Amino acid sequence: MSHMKELTKGLFKENPTFIIMLGMCPTLGVSTQVSNAIGMGLSVIFVLTCSNIFISACRKIIPDAVRIPCYIVIIASFVTIVEMVLHAYVPAVYEALGVYLPLIVVNCIILGRAEAFAGKNGVLDSALDGIGMGIGFTMSLSLIALIREVIGAGTITLFPVGSFSGVITLPLLSDSPVRVLTLAAGALLLMGYLKAFFQWKSARGKGAEA
Amino acid sequence: MTRYLKTGLILFAICAVCTALCALINEVTAPAIAVNVEKDRLNALDAVSHGYEIGEQEEGSGSISYVIPLYDNGSVAGYIAEIVTSGYGGEMTVIASYSADGTVLEAQMMANSETPGLGKKAEESWYMDMFRGLGGESPLPLSKSDLPTDQAAAVSGASITFGGVSSAIHEGSEYVKSLGGAV
Repeated sequence: MSHMKELTKGLFKENPTFIIMLGMCPTLGVSTQVSNAIGMGLSVIFVLTCSNIFISACRKIIPDAVRIPCYIVIIASFVTIVEMVLHAYVPAVYEALGVYLPLIVVNCIILGRAEAFAGKNGVLDSALDGIGMGIGFTMSLSLIALIREVIGAGTITLFPVGSFSGVITLPLLSDSPVRVLTLAAGALLLMGYLKAFFQWKSARGKGAEA
Repeated sequence: MTRYLKTGLILFAICAVCTALCALINEVTAPAIAVNVEKDRLNALDAVSHGYEIGEQEEGSGSISYVIPLYDNGSVAGYIAEIVTSGYGGEMTVIASYSADGTVLEAQMMANSETPGLGKKAEESWYMDMFRGLGGESPLPLSKSDLPTDQAAAVSGASITFGGVSSAIHEGSEYVKSLGGAV
C-alpha cells in the first residue's frame, strides 16, 4: 500500500508544478501547444524514472561529497538518450521541443527528486516516485497548454495520425483568440490562477480533515 | 588521500558507465538521425526550388555553406543557397532560393534551437512571406523597423530570430548577385 502512495502522491498531493512549484521554466516555455506539453511530459517521465532507478541503485556507492556531480552526469546521460531517440524516431517532437529538451538536465523536478528521494530510498519506491511525479508534471503541463492553446489560439494541436492533420480548430475561439495567453505574460497569469485554485483545493482538503 | 582517490574512481566509473550507455544508443540511432537530416534537406531543396530543375551543389564562402544552380530549360534561372546564421538559441540554418538578380523566391528555416511559440515561428510558411519577392529591386527588411506594422507585430517577442533570418537571407541575396548568373 505504501508503494502505491509513492506513485499517487505526485499526481495531486505533491504535484511538482502546482504544489511543489518545481520546473517552472519548461512549464511556462513549452506550454504553448498541447503536443509540445505531451512530448515534454513523456520525456520527463522517462528521464525522471530512469535517473531515479539508477541513482537509487547506486546510492550506497555514491560518495556524499560528489553526489550532485554524479546526479548531474546520470541525468544528463538519460536526457542525451532521449534526445537521440526522439531525433531518430519522432523528429517532429524533437524539433518542437527545441532548447527545452537539453534543459531537462537542469530541470529542478529531476534533480530535486534525485536529492530528496532517490538518494535515500529503495529502487522500487524511487521508480514509482519518478513515474508518479512525471505523470503529475505531464498532467499539469498538458492542462496549462490546453487552456493556453484553446483560449490563446482557438486550436488544439495533437499528433498527426493518418489523414488527421493533428490540429483541431475551434470555430468561435479561433476567430477572436485572446493572444496574451500565448505569450509569456499570459503563461504567468494562468499559472497564478491555477496555483491559487490548487491552493484553495488543498486548504479545503486540510480543513475537511481537521 | 585514499578517500579522494576512491571518490575520484567512483566518479570516473559512473561517468564511464553513462558514456558507454550514450555510445550504445548513439550507435543504434545515428543511422536513423542521418537519414532524417538528409530527408529534411532534400525536402527543403525541393520546396524552395520554385519548380526549376536543381543542379549540382557547389561550395560557398563565409556563412554560405553551399549554392546550387537552378535551371530553366538549360539556362541558369537562379540559385539555392544554404546560409548559417545565429539566433536566440544559437546557430540556425536557412535554405533560400533566389533568382539570378538576388530576388528571394522561397526560403525555409532548417536546424535551429529557437524558443517554441516565439522564434520557432520562423519555421512556418507565412514567416518567409516577409522576404519573398524582395532582394532584387526592392530591398530586404533587415530589422523589425523595416517591416509593415502587422508583420512587425507578428515577429514581436522574437526580434533576435528575425534579425538572424533576415541577415542570412540578405547575405544569400548578395552572394547570388556576386555570382552574376555564372554557375
